[in-house]
Amino acid sequence: MPKVKKKRVGFTIDMTPLVDITFLLLTFFMFTAKFKSEAESEQKFTIQRPRVTPDTTTIPQNDIGIIKIAIDSATNDTNYYYELANETDRQKVWGAVKGLTDQQRTQQQLKVTPEVLNELVRDTRLVRPNTKFAIDADKRLSFKWINDAMNILRKNQATVFNFVTDKKGA
Amino acid sequence: MSGGGGALTTGGKPKRGSSKRKTKKRVGFRIDMTPLVDITFLLLTFFMFTTTMAAPQVMEMSIPPEITEKVEVKESELLSFYVRDDGALFYAMGNDTPERIDLKNLKEVKDVSIRENLKPELENKLIIALKVAEQAPYGEVVDILDQLNQAEGVIVDKLKNEIDPATGKPKERKRRFTIAPLLPEEINLIKGL
Repeated sequence: MPKVKKKRVGFTIDMTPLVDITFLLLTFFMFTAKFKSEAESEQKFTIQRPRVTPDTTTIPQNDIGIIKIAIDSATNDTNYYYELANETDRQKVWGAVKGLTDQQRTQQQLKVTPEVLNELVRDTRLVRPNTKFAIDADKRLSFKWINDAMNILRKNQATVFNFVTDKKGA
Repeated sequence: MSGGGGALTTGGKPKRGSSKRKTKKRVGFRIDMTPLVDITFLLLTFFMFTTTMAAPQVMEMSIPPEITEKVEVKESELLSFYVRDDGALFYAMGNDTPERIDLKNLKEVKDVSIRENLKPELENKLIIALKVAEQAPYGEVVDILDQLNQAEGVIVDKLKNEIDPATGKPKERKRRFTIAPLLPEEINLIKGL
């Protein structure tokens, strides 16, 4: 007697919970995502920040001038960079510096010498006296670089500032 | 996805004559969700890989302004930490001979700071000076500052629990701290240690 062939029945998996979770995660990541600033996307270096015990402090977003001291990934040279977040202030401060090209005047961040950095910090303080300052330096650098930047801030009466760090264990 | 469609009728009584007519069974419909799910997964993956969860944090620094005249401090109220060019770390009270701190045991910086700051005779009087050589690594300086900040939290908590006899209120903390480059005589002081 021929065996009765059982008809195979296709099956469906209910994808609804999976899709629910996926949408939930997508929404979360979309709302929490913070994209790189213009200056960060243009720069040719990555700063290895020193790691400290985590706390709730965060870097101020508005009216902040950041002195970056970084090692160029291509040439291995150490340089000072200055970034000013406020666009209106930036136009005024960049406008006062001599010797900048038109392209440089549109940039959010400038590669500078200590002398120009001093001028920029001074002009930033003149344009907006309550601008906050931060030093974002690579942990591999010698202290001399940071001390020179601190002296520039001190000279311009910006005696309260921040060191940008990363969270330990993050 | 099927079902539910039958409940939607136009209402009213069914016609007598039409009782024999076969009502057409409504068939549920399915929307193919695959492209939507594909795109969702793609976007999810993108956002997951591009998001940095650990935003940088900051360490607030307050340095003394530029001054020309010398400020005299009592030797007994000065705790100095010295960082040499090679990264070696030392500490000394006043003009005592500096003692070395093992870099693997940086917690000692915190312990020393708490111990000295909480001595009754030095409470709110002790000045901590971090003296750093030019070639010392910046990362290590921040590690030391981190330990000093940790100590500060403990000191503030401890003082808060004590009553100031003069005011009758919990004691307030006045931090005295400075960071400066190593002077030539200080370099000589820790040279051979």
